[in-house]
Amino acid sequence: MMRLPAGIYHETYRQDQQWWQTRFVWARMLFLFLLLFVVLPLGLPMLDASIGRYVLGLANLVGYFILGALGVQLLIGYTGQITLGHAAFIAVGAYVSALGMLQFGLPYPVTLPLAAIASGLWSVLFGLPSARVKGYYLIMTTMTAQFVTVGFIITQYVAQVGGRGVAFSLPPGTITFGPFPVESELSKYYLMLVLVIGALVVVANLLRTRVGRAWVAIRDNDIAAEVLGVNVVRYKLLAYFVAGALGGIAGAYWLTSLSAVSPEHFEFALSLELVGMILIGGVGSLYGVVFGALFWALVPEAIQFGVAGLYPFFPELFGKLSPLRLVAFGLAIILFLLYEPKGLAYRWWQIKNYIHLWPFSY
Amino acid sequence: MDVFLQLAITGVMVGSIYALVALGWTLIYKSSGVLNLAMGELTLIGAYVSWTFYEWGLPYLVALVLTLGVGIVLGFLVERLFLQPLIGESTLTVIMVTVGISFLLRGVIVFIWGSDTLVFDPPVFPSEPIRIGDLVIGQVFIWSFVAALVMLAIFVSFFRYARWGLAMQATSDDEMASRSLGISAKLVYAIAWAIAFMAAGVGGSLLGNINGINISIGFLGLLVLPAVVIGGLNSVPGAIIGGIIIGVLQNLAGGYLDTLVIAGVKIFPGGVKDIFPFVVMTLVLLVKPYGLFGWERIERV
Repeated sequence: MMRLPAGIYHETYRQDQQWWQTRFVWARMLFLFLLLFVVLPLGLPMLDASIGRYVLGLANLVGYFILGALGVQLLIGYTGQITLGHAAFIAVGAYVSALGMLQFGLPYPVTLPLAAIASGLWSVLFGLPSARVKGYYLIMTTMTAQFVTVGFIITQYVAQVGGRGVAFSLPPGTITFGPFPVESELSKYYLMLVLVIGALVVVANLLRTRVGRAWVAIRDNDIAAEVLGVNVVRYKLLAYFVAGALGGIAGAYWLTSLSAVSPEHFEFALSLELVGMILIGGVGSLYGVVFGALFWALVPEAIQFGVAGLYPFFPELFGKLSPLRLVAFGLAIILFLLYEPKGLAYRWWQIKNYIHLWPFSY
Repeated sequence: MDVFLQLAITGVMVGSIYALVALGWTLIYKSSGVLNLAMGELTLIGAYVSWTFYEWGLPYLVALVLTLGVGIVLGFLVERLFLQPLIGESTLTVIMVTVGISFLLRGVIVFIWGSDTLVFDPPVFPSEPIRIGDLVIGQVFIWSFVAALVMLAIFVSFFRYARWGLAMQATSDDEMASRSLGISAKLVYAIAWAIAFMAAGVGGSLLGNINGINISIGFLGLLVLPAVVIGGLNSVPGAIIGGIIIGVLQNLAGGYLDTLVIAGVKIFPGGVKDIFPFVVMTLVLLVKPYGLFGWERIERV
């Protein structure tokens, strides 16, 4: 709920439903815009070039996670369809875009929507069982999507197209936006910002239309939704399409940061990680996607710093970064579920409320 | 025909190991309603622990018994620490805790044992195969089959005759009623996890004897999911039959589909074996949405 300062009243429904209702919010958004578009990409490297590059690289990873987890959030948090195979659709997007560029010579901006559509349709195909199968059994069919798509079709057929071997290398200069190559961290960063902000705006607005309300109705009780006249199967499939398309965009975007694309980038673990992200961020919240992605990208960095700090005492830890990462993710998921089941988004909401109401407690 | 028989028999033997792991999985689901995605890691832990004991120079049977002991301890520990606080939480929460457990266990395993393939050295079972008529069957398979059958018999008879086995059945049937009769639901959940760790541990150890031990055994452990789904999630005989079906299907797919050639073109380049169980599972679900032996739920608003 939006809290208005004293003395401001709404007279129309339109005003009531606006995103940014007060000058203060406008100023805050302008500040955020400047921070994201100017200070972070341009200001920081001026202070220290290597730190700037490092931060931008990390931001790109966060953007990839946001795009991927957004689809999972849509399915799990808003439509109630638990999915454990989302990495498959990211893989489809990445491969459609890569093949479009390498095999057919299409420009990158053209392959981007192609990847989204292909992934969306592929996702609808694996969403079809949801018309008949529910709950635990549906979770298993989403795992089928993962193993069939990545483990079999992509590994055995798609990755062999053109005789490039299992990994498609993407030589520098492959990915260009018109005349501009997307190679430096800065150009990837701006592409990421546009895609992420676009995706978030589309999804946030979709959620407050008829479609979004139908999804939430299905999540809360699908039989009741059907009784109320929601075409459950159609809206479920629509959710699968949008989620798959977002995954496809994520995959096509991630090509910019890969020197070669191979099936190992889209393992079952990635599917599980995406679900872990929205759990840590908060299920059923778009803030949750952002916070979860930030958390997931920052934890390995924190571990790396920690291990580097312990290097004089335990040098053998340095070779064991990847198991340590797994342990940290596992513990993070478990501890969040046990002690902060509503996720970081809920904590953020509480802090915001506290500041709004200060100095009163309620 | 000989080829078919050969593949089917080996399939039944590998399938009996899956059946064992699937039984452990179903016990957890039946008694506490937890969909456990960490089953692959449970098999991995068992495989590595038994390997370690074996490398200390203990006889394999002793190593296996000690693995069972470790399984009990881990089962009680995991249940007490991670699952007991979540009794009554939503489906997604409980599933994701098991995902967290699987990340954690996998991390610990790679941390301790590394990611290279380990083999039982010296080999536990003699390598020369046994011939019955035209059939050639590796001794590993036969002994694994025997071990799996013994374990299955022990668990099923525990379930049917022992006091706590009956308590587990009562809890899975009606938790409220069983609690009012003085059965501790918490202890039942803990026992279910301990049994799952034990069954998966023995299963993992046997699988490790067949292929060597590495992280991919975790994927074999994940194959119990199609097995239990085909059987219907809450049916113990269903889990056993489902496990055997998966073993047979996998072997037949590997034997026939991988080498299928139509009009001079090889249809499947390979890897059918790994995904075939999942495809069959999805098809079965489309026809029977609650599995072959599962309970149909009637939902009301």
